[in-house]
Amino acid sequence: MSAELGALLLTDGRLPTGGHAHSAGLEPALAAGLRADQVPAYIDARLRTVGLVEAAAAVVALRIAVDAPARLGDVQAELMARTPSAPLRHASELLGRGLARLALRLWPDHAAVAALHGLGQPPLRPVALGVVGAALGMSAAAIARASLYDDAQTVAAASLKLLPVDPADATGWLLASASTIEAVVSRALATTGPDDLPALTAPMVELWSLDHHHSTRRIFVS
Amino acid sequence: MFPESGFPEASAPGPARPLRLGVAGPVGTGKSTIIATLCRGLSAQLEIAVVTNDIYTDEDARQLRAAGVLPVERIRAVETGACPHTAIRDDVTANLLAVEDLERDFAPLDLVIVESGGDNLTATFSPALVDAQIFCLDVAGGGDVARKGGPGIERADLLVINKTDLAPYVGVDAEQMVTDAGAVRDGLPVLPVSQHDQASVDALCAWVSALAVAHQQGQHVPQDPGPMAPHFHAPDHDHAHG
Repeated sequence: MSAELGALLLTDGRLPTGGHAHSAGLEPALAAGLRADQVPAYIDARLRTVGLVEAAAAVVALRIAVDAPARLGDVQAELMARTPSAPLRHASELLGRGLARLALRLWPDHAAVAALHGLGQPPLRPVALGVVGAALGMSAAAIARASLYDDAQTVAAASLKLLPVDPADATGWLLASASTIEAVVSRALATTGPDDLPALTAPMVELWSLDHHHSTRRIFVS
Repeated sequence: MFPESGFPEASAPGPARPLRLGVAGPVGTGKSTIIATLCRGLSAQLEIAVVTNDIYTDEDARQLRAAGVLPVERIRAVETGACPHTAIRDDVTANLLAVEDLERDFAPLDLVIVESGGDNLTATFSPALVDAQIFCLDVAGGGDVARKGGPGIERADLLVINKTDLAPYVGVDAEQMVTDAGAVRDGLPVLPVSQHDQASVDALCAWVSALAVAHQQGQHVPQDPGPMAPHFHAPDHDHAHG
């Protein structure tokens, strides 16, 4: 039963894991000239690139968390190699730590939660997401969908802070991304293991994240 | 936990960890200055670090660094996604991670101060983030603000009425403001402070110093000011219902 509720929890902005301080790169993208009418395309581009990589990593992390928690470090290492921007690694670590903090409080005895110790470094968000998904008994498809929805919703919610956007329109952007999300979920599920993770990047997202790191006027961490 | 990496274990409340002190209050009331004052006055006796929560910039952190009251690396700015209220109350994750990182990087600390991004009168810190909190008003914000009350004004561990030296210039009776504040705080301390009145600065530092000692000795019990005014029944000495 908790699997169904878990999927809702993980995509609820009220979950206390620090997600409200992130914009999934929208803030620096706008600072670099992205227009309001391009936000849906930005959401789509993220879903198909970094969104896919992260969803696939969450899927692999969940499967490993269920089958062989001691191997969590493999997916962490493969994902780290696919996250070239230091500020984005840091942001992912903060979100991962937020999820890990929650997991340690709620499921301290779960083997995969305990295995987070063995990483020797803060878990990236998709790794922690996979572990929390395993603790909740979620399916691989559900964790992939949660990862992608969270990415799109993070952009949409941040747009309300950063742009003169009608919240109903932002909600429409999310719904319009449904078919993309389902297609990416399928691709993520096809990932066979850590070394099979997709290695797509979004170079502008990475470039903007470096700009953002040096900005002295920012609302969001990333 | 995660010792090799510096992924710190969530430390349990109590004397084993540094005192975590929140400073909240509306924009412009002098929170950063109060913190700089505390660092200047207490850094000889306490090991201190600071987390700031500016809404748009890292101005507060830069101001504190520029004040030279602490080594710059002990002052960290945390972005709150334009939700300073959320970051100290509903979801304290970002601030807790910053506090724990500072406690790990500069162990052993005695005091970690968390400055809220200036917010409205209902913003108070969660006891999940801080052990005690100062709520800061200033005379220039209006003499009636203290009387109006609110969770921070009524139940923060300490209420500071700041910039009392400005009172004559803004037409506010600072003494009356302190009296009004005392009336809504049911015995909790109210401290008028002016940067030009060293005795008031000393009193502020002494309050925090005593709190740090009480914390270290396990005698301080965190109190939650809460988000709302509590339901209150006046004593029924003078009248009876029905």
